Amino acid sequence: MESKFSVTYQEGIASCELCGRLDATNAPAFQEELKKLIGQDVSRLVFYAKDLEYMSSAGLRTIIFAKQKIGAASSVYLIGAQEAVQNVIKMSGLDTFMILQDTYEE
Amino acid sequence: MPKLTYTATLENLEPMLDFLEQGAKELGFDARELNRIRLASEEVLVNVINYAYPDKNGSVEIIYDIQDGNRLVVEIIDSGVPFNPLLMPEPDIESPVENRKIGGLGIYLVRSIMDELSYRREAGRNILTLIKYQTTG
Repeated sequence: MESKFSVTYQEGIASCELCGRLDATNAPAFQEELKKLIGQDVSRLVFYAKDLEYMSSAGLRTIIFAKQKIGAASSVYLIGAQEAVQNVIKMSGLDTFMILQDTYEE
Repeated sequence: MPKLTYTATLENLEPMLDFLEQGAKELGFDARELNRIRLASEEVLVNVINYAYPDKNGSVEIIYDIQDGNRLVVEIIDSGVPFNPLLMPEPDIESPVENRKIGGLGIYLVRSIMDELSYRREAGRNILTLIKYQTTG
């Protein structure tokens, strides 16, 4: 699957669609996309990860970056993540501040 | 022992990982473990790519060996600045996210996934050895 990412913002909710692999080769570009949200009033950061097959620490760092720099007070959701991705999130303790759901529920 | 040398660039990360995955497949790791081994390998290779050669291009040598039919032994070798990733402090993965440090997560994952890690500096080279046992028969 081709790796691609999109970031949209609407009424306080930043939605990120993640497909393929999020690793050291493409996490910097994704982080650049996220940087465009700095200064917006973000109350929720929602990562849609159903089609995300793989995430390395570069991806984890991007999520931490997003939480710290974009939505310090926001709720962070991870939606539909596959087992491999969930495991990396849990191994590195990101599940302590993320809400993991199968489908997005407010 | 299968061995390949690459220029240490992000463009070469995929072929490096594919090469190591071959070795892991030979030993019969399942898809989940293959994915985890790929992740651990990516973390150590990205360290070399990003930090070993600050002012020039350099190379990274990758060797794998299957020993006693039950473990994959990987060596990652570079001739860059001396760096022992095993001395990186452990990240506090329970601290509040506001204080979460961004460094150290990669090597933490490597430690979680692989069974044995060792580092030595020899003849101007960093040699990192990673071992993963295949326990599912």
